[in-house]
Amino acid sequence: MSKIDENQIHRQLKALSQIKPGSEATSRAIQRVRETLINKEKTRQCTGTRIRRKIFKSPITKFAAAAVLLIGLGYATGRLSAPTVDTEELRAALRQDLLEEMNERWQSAFAAGCAQIKEELQRQIRRDLTEFAVQTLAASGSLTNQRLMELIQLIEATRWRERQQIAAALEQIEQEKILLRNGLLAVAARTNELLSTKQ
Amino acid sequence: MRDRQKELLELLDKSGANLYALLTRLTLREDIAEELMQELFIKLINSRSFDKAGNRQAYTRRAAINLAFDWRRRQKRNPLRLDQVREPASNDSSPLGKLVQAEELDEILNAIGQLNKVPREAFVMRYIQEEPYDYIAKQLDKTSHHVRALCSRALNHLRDVLGSNRHKSFEKETHNVKNRRKPNPPSVESPLTD
Repeated sequence: MSKIDENQIHRQLKALSQIKPGSEATSRAIQRVRETLINKEKTRQCTGTRIRRKIFKSPITKFAAAAVLLIGLGYATGRLSAPTVDTEELRAALRQDLLEEMNERWQSAFAAGCAQIKEELQRQIRRDLTEFAVQTLAASGSLTNQRLMELIQLIEATRWRERQQIAAALEQIEQEKILLRNGLLAVAARTNELLSTKQ
Repeated sequence: MRDRQKELLELLDKSGANLYALLTRLTLREDIAEELMQELFIKLINSRSFDKAGNRQAYTRRAAINLAFDWRRRQKRNPLRLDQVREPASNDSSPLGKLVQAEELDEILNAIGQLNKVPREAFVMRYIQEEPYDYIAKQLDKTSHHVRALCSRALNHLRDVLGSNRHKSFEKETHNVKNRRKPNPPSVESPLTD
């Protein structure tokens, strides 16, 4: 790329820097800007006033403004005409109110607590009774069992004793039977002897 | 807003003439400089970043430079109609000298317009406003060495751009002359210009 002579550029730049606008043109340009700045501010202010005028031209806005004024006036009058308050009286009344409220709260809390305790007690008694009944039933069951066992043992002993007596009786009968047989045999033999003798 | 107006009026009194001269040098037209000056202050009155700017004077000058080069760029896209052409601002009295110089100055200003914003501002302040390096460094919040480097690089860039432009225009002229000579019979030696 070819380069231009630096002196030539400097010369042109120097020529540029030497350009001076006329003093008349300068003051005209400055004056014009000044007028623009001032007019812009005026226009802005006028626009603000125009907007305000437009807003207040509407009957609704007027009515709203009047209502706001009346409310403000009423509030201020109320504030100013309010009676002075005795602080001691106010404190006593507050204290009384507080006490009443505290009492009410206590009572309601106590009533609620009482009902809860009663219910808990009933539940405990029911639980204890159930446990007692269960224990009693268990105890009576074991006693009945014991009595039945004793009864069974007694019956068994009685039966064994009766069986022994029957066995002894049967043995005695057997012995008496043997004796009877021997006696009968002896009678038979004697009879036979007698018969043979007679014959 | 009233404070802003007061401040701008003070700024106008203090540096209005300098800003107008700067705009005239960058546009080479007093009427355009007047318009741009107007536009500059209207922009400033509505600008929020003007309040945040630490150095209001530097901010205003930067805005003026940007406006002027934006105008130059627009001009390149929309060539002037004859009724819009006014006499360029120049110190040379002869009409031919005015024309030549205006063309050269236009060329160099267009080349400056191709620079980046910071080097362009530094270059304009140094070579068109002829401010000292220390003052430029203070205004741009840079060191004096940095400003010198910026200006030097910008000057090199200008040499490249202008050299390349001249080369192109020379080639174009040669091409035109050659084309003009073609229809003439080769035996007859005609002068380059009719």
